[in-house]
Amino acid sequence: MQPKKLTLCGMLTALAVVLSLVERLFPLDAIVPVPGVKLGLANVVTLFALTRLSARDALVIVLCRVALSSLLMGSVTAFLFSLFGGLLALAVMGLLLRAEGKFCSVLGVSVAGAAAHNIGQIIAAVIWMQTGAVVAYLPWLLVMSVPLGLVTGLTAAVVLAHLQKIDFRV
Amino acid sequence: MKRIFATFLLLLTLTACAAKPASYTADFFAMDTFMSVTVCGESEDTAREAAFACEQTVNALEPALSRTREDGDLYRLNHADGTVCTVSDETYAAIEAAVQYAELTGGAFDPTMATLTDLWSINTENAHVPAQAEIEAALAKVGYENIVLLGDNQVQLKNGAQIDLGGIGKGFATDAAADVLAAQDEGAATGALVQLGGNIGAFGANPAREGGGWTIGVGDPDDTADYVATVEVQDKSVVTSGDYERYFEQDGKRYHHIFDPATGYPADTGLRSVTVVDESSTRADALTTALFVMGLEDGMAFCAQNGIAAIFVTSEKQVYTTDAVASACIYTFLGADKGYNDAQ
Amino acid sequence: MRSRLKWGDFVIIAAVLALATALTAWLAWGASDGQLYTEVWQDDVLVERVLLTDDTNRTIDLDGHNVIVLAGRTARVASADCHDQVCVRTGTLTHAGQVAVCLPNRVILKLVGETGEIDAIVS
Repeated sequence: MQPKKLTLCGMLTALAVVLSLVERLFPLDAIVPVPGVKLGLANVVTLFALTRLSARDALVIVLCRVALSSLLMGSVTAFLFSLFGGLLALAVMGLLLRAEGKFCSVLGVSVAGAAAHNIGQIIAAVIWMQTGAVVAYLPWLLVMSVPLGLVTGLTAAVVLAHLQKIDFRV
Repeated sequence: MKRIFATFLLLLTLTACAAKPASYTADFFAMDTFMSVTVCGESEDTAREAAFACEQTVNALEPALSRTREDGDLYRLNHADGTVCTVSDETYAAIEAAVQYAELTGGAFDPTMATLTDLWSINTENAHVPAQAEIEAALAKVGYENIVLLGDNQVQLKNGAQIDLGGIGKGFATDAAADVLAAQDEGAATGALVQLGGNIGAFGANPAREGGGWTIGVGDPDDTADYVATVEVQDKSVVTSGDYERYFEQDGKRYHHIFDPATGYPADTGLRSVTVVDESSTRADALTTALFVMGLEDGMAFCAQNGIAAIFVTSEKQVYTTDAVASACIYTFLGADKGYNDAQ
Repeated sequence: MRSRLKWGDFVIIAAVLALATALTAWLAWGASDGQLYTEVWQDDVLVERVLLTDDTNRTIDLDGHNVIVLAGRTARVASADCHDQVCVRTGTLTHAGQVAVCLPNRVILKLVGETGEIDAIVS
């Protein structure tokens, strides 16, 4: 791996961890009464890595981010939940990005990613807690993933547009 | 576009994994009782097929185990006047099991009580207390030693003995249903609750409960819609015998259907019901009757000696459990508000 | 990289919302399935299926053979013309899984619906 790329991956992982931590300062579930609802800022990093680097790099970053942020503040459950969420979001966004530009924009990809993240979390919860009852939260999480996905998507779009302007390449 | 659709299909199937599996219940009347077989599986079609397969098996067993059906083996054997009879595999296996449990319980369970139950006519409109001489005459023909198993499906009845497999018939049918369920295709019958009269078989995983166990209420003898305790089981049979199932009253006294082979009278041991939890429904069926006849003290001793999980309810509203109950099921006493006392 | 919304974005948003709606409907269907019903069977035929609520108050007369009383979230066989009276003696059914059976008349009264404390009663 080129030193520049390696450095970038490291920085992105750090950024993703920091974003996960920052998110905690905005307890969204205090405003929207759905447990587990989050802004999903770390998805911006995944989106960036997918578009500017490769799917493999994005996977490494997601895995590192999940491991690190769980170590910093989470439990085994939190780790499992964000792992499932992060990986499913990555898979869905990776697939959708192939059609990006023609079929949809970054915003749509981000919404799908946010929705996939929530679905992944709930799947993890169902497996971990051995009960289907948590599925009841999913509709609300999915509805919330539309505005939240648009916000993160917009953030990603601004960043990506700016990088294009300065002709950033890896 | 195809990929996108594939993705969403994947998402949908993933969420569908949380869906509850299908189930089907077949209710029917057989062996003079009400039966209900509920099968849970991956699809309703396979669950229905499995439930119907159980129903067919039970129905097919009826002539082999009934002594009143004139086309049945047992009727033929009972009317053979002591000559050697060749019976079907099922009938032979059931008689063999009945004799085995009669030996195990020292005759407290006896499959040759037919002459006595006929005499008392319990569960018919002319149920009555017979004369002592009649009872003694009937008792003379009772005794499992009078059954001679000759191998090759050949049976002989001596001294006018008459076989009644009612004491194990439902258990035998429950075990047969368990075999049918086990033979189903993978996923077709992931869990099942077989209720044949007072015999319950709980097999596989219960999709409605965390952990997959089946919670069975142990009936309250005074109100059979209610229960005094629950047992959570898996791949086990739960059987109860009680004095409240079939009885009649004469001169203010209650006479029930569980007879003591020693006296020829309904067993009067201060018990209201005995429940047994066991892998074999046939054994559980025979043992509930035997334990009821033995009474609390002898019954508890017998269970301790043979490692049998049993729950005794006495007429003093005391509920006793044997040591083996703890390992056979999750037992919860719930009778306090109905005036029962957990005697442990 | 353009951030202008494309038609596909609306498809995605619609799909997410549709999934949420479908899930809500599915969960609601499951919840309605969790209600308490009473079923009356006669000669292997389902003659009545009634949703039991707190306000239920009904009497079902099966040609005088068996009289079934539904009251609130309970059901019982109030009277029967058979000799053994087992169904009447069974008492009042209050939770799913309970059954009262009249063998002579081939009548089954059962409660079905949400899984209660128990799956069956052995008696």
